[in-house]
Amino acid sequence: MPAVKETIEDVRRLEADKYKYGFSTEIEQEFAPKGLSEDTVRFISAKKDEPEWMLNWRLEAFRRWKEMDEPEWANVGYPPIDYQDAYYYAAPKNVTKYKSLDEVPAEILETYEKLGIPLREAEVLLGVEGAENRTAAEARETPRVAVDAVFDSVSVVTTFRKELEKAGVIFMPISEAIREYPELVRKYLGSVVPVTDNFFATLNSAVFSDGSFVYVPPGVRCPMELSTYFRMNAQGTGQFERTLIIADKGAYVSYLEGCTAPMRDENQLHAAVVELVALDDAQIKYSTVQNWWPGDAEGKGGVYNFVTKRADCRGRNSKVSWTQVETGSAITWKYPSCVLRGDNSQGEFYSIAVTNGRQQADTGTKMIHLGRNTKSRIIAKGISAGRSDQTYRGLVSVHAKAAGARNFTQCDSLLIGDQCGAHTVPYIEAKTPDAVLEHEATTSKLSDDQLFYARSRGLDEETAVALLVNGFCREVLQELPMEFAVEAQALLKVSLEGSVG
Amino acid sequence: MGLPVKLNLYEEALLDALPDGEAAEAIRASGLPHRRVEAWKWSDLRTVLSRLPAKTGVMAARTPREADSEVLALPEPVSLPARLAGLLGGPAGMFVLKAAERFTLDVSASEGASHRALVIEVPAGVSAVLHERYALDAGAFANIALDIRLGEGARLTRIIEQDAAPEAVLVVTGTVTLASHADYAQTTLGFGAKLARIETHITHPGHGARVRLDSAYLLAEGLHLDQTSIVRHTGPHGVTEELSKGAVMPGGRGVFQGKIHVERAAQKTDARMNHRGLLLGERAEIDAKPELEIYADDVACAHGNALGELDAEALFYMRQRGIPEIAARALLTESFLAEPLERIEDEAIRDALLARLRTALEALR
Repeated sequence: MPAVKETIEDVRRLEADKYKYGFSTEIEQEFAPKGLSEDTVRFISAKKDEPEWMLNWRLEAFRRWKEMDEPEWANVGYPPIDYQDAYYYAAPKNVTKYKSLDEVPAEILETYEKLGIPLREAEVLLGVEGAENRTAAEARETPRVAVDAVFDSVSVVTTFRKELEKAGVIFMPISEAIREYPELVRKYLGSVVPVTDNFFATLNSAVFSDGSFVYVPPGVRCPMELSTYFRMNAQGTGQFERTLIIADKGAYVSYLEGCTAPMRDENQLHAAVVELVALDDAQIKYSTVQNWWPGDAEGKGGVYNFVTKRADCRGRNSKVSWTQVETGSAITWKYPSCVLRGDNSQGEFYSIAVTNGRQQADTGTKMIHLGRNTKSRIIAKGISAGRSDQTYRGLVSVHAKAAGARNFTQCDSLLIGDQCGAHTVPYIEAKTPDAVLEHEATTSKLSDDQLFYARSRGLDEETAVALLVNGFCREVLQELPMEFAVEAQALLKVSLEGSVG
Repeated sequence: MGLPVKLNLYEEALLDALPDGEAAEAIRASGLPHRRVEAWKWSDLRTVLSRLPAKTGVMAARTPREADSEVLALPEPVSLPARLAGLLGGPAGMFVLKAAERFTLDVSASEGASHRALVIEVPAGVSAVLHERYALDAGAFANIALDIRLGEGARLTRIIEQDAAPEAVLVVTGTVTLASHADYAQTTLGFGAKLARIETHITHPGHGARVRLDSAYLLAEGLHLDQTSIVRHTGPHGVTEELSKGAVMPGGRGVFQGKIHVERAAQKTDARMNHRGLLLGERAEIDAKPELEIYADDVACAHGNALGELDAEALFYMRQRGIPEIAARALLTESFLAEPLERIEDEAIRDALLARLRTALEALR
């Protein structure tokens, strides 16, 4: 099978040293003392000017975290993490406003350029004077995407805020929201992912540095896609974002999360928490493209991505849809979930996960059906190559009162090369008679027949392979918002270069 | 992980009978398997046994003939119950099946815990039938480990008939090893117990060997049946086919945990697992975990799992043809559950099991 052999060769060639986004910007950082103690927690809280209730919340989380054990059930292996050997806070030192772009240090501009942030947007992000007015005028013709850049730990500036404010949408770093909208944050923070939910979420609750806060008021359709770029920049700094998105009654919001991380030797710990709350008739669409440093060819380095993402469909007829394209990280431990509490609420999970080199991914979703006539749909596509291992782990649980619940799950795995693994571990719990739950899973390699057919129609081998891999992921790719579709396909291409044409 | 657990009376009694060793240590450290143990998350053996009388019971395992020999060293047990069966069940009788032999194993047990280990060997080229029947008294915990070995080109049809036992606990652990070109077909007809677990571990060498692992279950109020299986493909060109179908009445609970493991050397494996369950009323529960663990790229592996209620359209059609609803539901359930049983090659056994299923369904009407 020359085509497959070629694919394997291409995948090998692709080894991680070609990581396109592996760069590190030298700018001054302010660090919390290394290690994790109550003092670290107090330091972070003080740095953020937090009210006392927030500090107490963090301290309680830290107290509980010390009593917890690191989970071991995931199908991943890594050397034990020394939580005392890391910095828990790093902030870019100068958060000053610039008169014009000329004053902005060149290395920061370069970082933005490599991230693909347009110059105008960068102006706004960096707080260059007058940028917001110019941008507002341009925004009418250009695509609407608001960016909240998490440059390491502090969201430097939030763009398009005024325009969003006009619609009544609050989109700001969560550290600011804690000060400006304490009653909203207090009401919802930790209400979806409780402080003691799991080891990594509890750690995050104690030391989270920053993240995004979004509130869409009743009946408002957010006028633009909200977007955040996460960048991990300082050596040995774990990132602990905290994102909280609330869609009030009848509101709609689409949120894009995209990530690239610089190249480095040490393993980086990343333990984010994302909480989504959808009230009556509200809808949230959350899309992620994750492309963190996966480690080198021997599996050295790379990001440990231990994320807790959960949505609470609290209201009637609410809907949350998770879409993710996961190509990076040395280890991924991630299960974006939906608690379908409101009657007629819906949860969706569309995922493409690509592992290569020595990457390990244990990812999937949980759909917890509590309300009547709740629906969920899971489409997960896994592609394993190189010496990687990938597991789909999912739970569909239908409680006794969730009459009329429906679920459809499909997980397909594609293996490229004979040194990788693909695993499927679905849990299905049904406690109500008129629920209908369907689950299908397949594992295969690229079909010889299909390749042969495509070849016999005149396609060269590489195009044929690309066609089939694209076809394999199609159901998920088409769920991505426009802004991400291009980036996602580019990522797939980089991750499986050659086999995707 | 934390302090050793506080043992219940049942575990204390087991420990008294056990020699020092791994099993005793395991019980002292974390007790009998319970819901915090991943492999037992839906079948809490510890809690269920703690409510049974903590005493020694008697198991009668009737076989058509004497054992050919006694085996002292059993292979490494796959689970704690299997280990207990080996340690507490006395010397394991070994039966070497003869060509075309129909070997019946009738197991009954009185109140209290009883254990037994047996070895069944099917020599190369021999084709035989192993028919197990389990009937337990109230308060019994019957724990059986079967070590089944198939030689090259051997064929074994294994039938497990498990009677409803609302007040008893049954654990049957089968460890099946196949040589190349062997053919192993297992069919379970289960009606559940306070807790029943039929666990099957199969080592599949590929090389023309075939495995069929089927079951049908019908669980009434208060009855629990757990079917757990692991098929491990170790060599190329292996075929595995699994079809499990169950119907659960209000208050019953079905558990299906199936795993297909394909090692790197097991290229060209063709493995398919299918589980379908009917929930026939409020408080019925089915939990399923169909797992694939694949390390070889050139394979075709699939699993499907579907849970739901009876087809409303079929029901409507039958009713408008004048069939009363109760009869229509029974007919649909019967045709649903019959599918795995119809795959049994041995005609006499197939008809007997189908008749048994029908009787059980009539009793539930």
